[in-house]
Amino acid sequence: METAFISRLKPLLDAIAKTMDLYVPVKVGEHYACGKYDPIGTTEPELNEIRMSPPVKELLFPVRELAAVFPQPINPKSVKPFAVFGLKACDLRSMEILDKVFVEKDFEDPFYVARRKMMLAISSDCSVPGESCFCNVLAGKPYPEDGFDLNVSHVTDGFLIQGGSAKGKEFLFAHAGMFGEVPDALLAERAKLREAAQNRLEQITRDFQLDAPVGQIVERGYGSDVFDEQARTCVECQACTRICPTCHCFYLYDTRKQDYFAKMKMWDSCMRIGHAQVAGGANPRKMLGDRLRHRLMHKFAYFLERYGIDMCVGCGRCVDGETGDVDIRTVLKRLNDELLAEGQKAVKAAT
Amino acid sequence: MTRNLYQPMNAEIVDTIEESPTIKSFVIVPDGLFKFDTGQFVELTLPGEGEAPFTPSSSPVVAEKMEITIMKAGRVTGLLHECGKGQRVGLRGPYGNGYPVDKFAGKHVYVVGGGVGLAPIRSLFLTLVDRIGDFKSVICRFGARTPEDFIYKKTLFGDWQKLRGVEMKLTVDKADGDWSGHVGVVTTILHPKDVDIANAVAVVCGPPIMMKFVTVSLLDFGFHPASIYLSMEKNMSCGFGKCGHCMLGKYYVCKDGPVFTYEQISKYPNIWE
Repeated sequence: METAFISRLKPLLDAIAKTMDLYVPVKVGEHYACGKYDPIGTTEPELNEIRMSPPVKELLFPVRELAAVFPQPINPKSVKPFAVFGLKACDLRSMEILDKVFVEKDFEDPFYVARRKMMLAISSDCSVPGESCFCNVLAGKPYPEDGFDLNVSHVTDGFLIQGGSAKGKEFLFAHAGMFGEVPDALLAERAKLREAAQNRLEQITRDFQLDAPVGQIVERGYGSDVFDEQARTCVECQACTRICPTCHCFYLYDTRKQDYFAKMKMWDSCMRIGHAQVAGGANPRKMLGDRLRHRLMHKFAYFLERYGIDMCVGCGRCVDGETGDVDIRTVLKRLNDELLAEGQKAVKAAT
Repeated sequence: MTRNLYQPMNAEIVDTIEESPTIKSFVIVPDGLFKFDTGQFVELTLPGEGEAPFTPSSSPVVAEKMEITIMKAGRVTGLLHECGKGQRVGLRGPYGNGYPVDKFAGKHVYVVGGGVGLAPIRSLFLTLVDRIGDFKSVICRFGARTPEDFIYKKTLFGDWQKLRGVEMKLTVDKADGDWSGHVGVVTTILHPKDVDIANAVAVVCGPPIMMKFVTVSLLDFGFHPASIYLSMEKNMSCGFGKCGHCMLGKYYVCKDGPVFTYEQISKYPNIWE
């Protein structure tokens, strides 16, 4: 069974929550947080129109975790299966990016891998992309095409549930009694809704469209003044990197526990002034403008060269989350325009 | 579960050697087999306190123990300096690429070192000496602030000077009573006629400011940027290209380095900082 119909979400989520912890979107003001699903307390679960605010990396690569123990190594707690409902296409792409880093041959991060294997990823279409969304600028779409176990699309009187992986398809098969057949009309409706979301996204991002591949734009913009200019409006709150679903810098530190020594692994941020500093005091990125440049170069040029994919999914969390006035979309657009202007100058010079 | 990359191998400090007022060498015996190539680095953990990257200064041929020479530079190195025999420590690694010694074969190897930068160079030097016949010559130019600041004094002032195929010159920034050698920063003992540049590689390791000026001199002499090998010191934390601290442009110094040719990294700003 590839795609099935269900009229209410609750039976679906109840069935999942029976066998594993399930995380769902919880509306807080205008945003969605992520909370544990409670089958008893929930009357009808909510389907989030856009991404939840917390990035999915929190569940795969927690803010702080025990990485090693001295002197007697212990095996980390085994991870129990868990499910996340309400992921979006951008979240799935962020997992693809994190997989490149943490599931890299010869350098697998055992903690990430254990959680990743145990995760059931349930995504859904974005019905109303948000004002800061710009996934389409980076070749994304407001609905998932792959990378999910199950995907949910809201249609008239119910939901279409698509199995995307063997795990997802098995789930649909095992719970076949819960689902109905999918008439062609509903598939057509889903296509129409997706198109509407895509159109809305294009409206939102009409001022941010780029004229060349983003990697090329950013790499060619290495010497641009935009980074130093942005540094004047950045307050170094580091929110952009913490809330980013793909940023993955971390910090290792050692600590004493009652009867053992521990090595801990904790999120870090390349926006922090001491991030690249060595013990002797030298610091190649002590200027904020250099750190802003490095962050963008890493996302769009260096990561692309190393892993063949850029390290930004256009979710817009950094735009929502930051305290100062740095907007990644305007920086990209500015670099784009500078590249265009350079091109025009070159043409003029040649003629 | 896959092997835990973050778990160090237990090891023990079995001896310490005072090298200079601020530099000590630690002889460390790992509990298990721990092999490395010359120029690769390890992450040394002082349990409960912290971890820092060091390039072993001993020959990789000696498998049962390694030596790590450490300058007191920050909190962890300060605490390590207080450790004595019997201190239990942790070792992760080895990480990075090391010196491409095979590529040096058939060439003159021009080795320029300063201060605690002689630590990785000692490991390289011992490796080169082990197979001295493979190289046209090994020419060393080492500097320190004062004669007292030279590390490995016994061998440096003694046996190493007499090795066949090795030519060595030393200098100090500031002489004291007994010093009869050259005085001046290390660039003052570099000379374009020292070596047949077309058939040579240069290896540089030392404090950033020294590496900067040595590199400038070598380029002036006519060394190709791809023939200048630099051992870069950055904030290597995880050791395997994930945590992001040691990034130098597109490179992870821990994984793609720590040894780079000048050609690889010259386009990035602040490489010496």
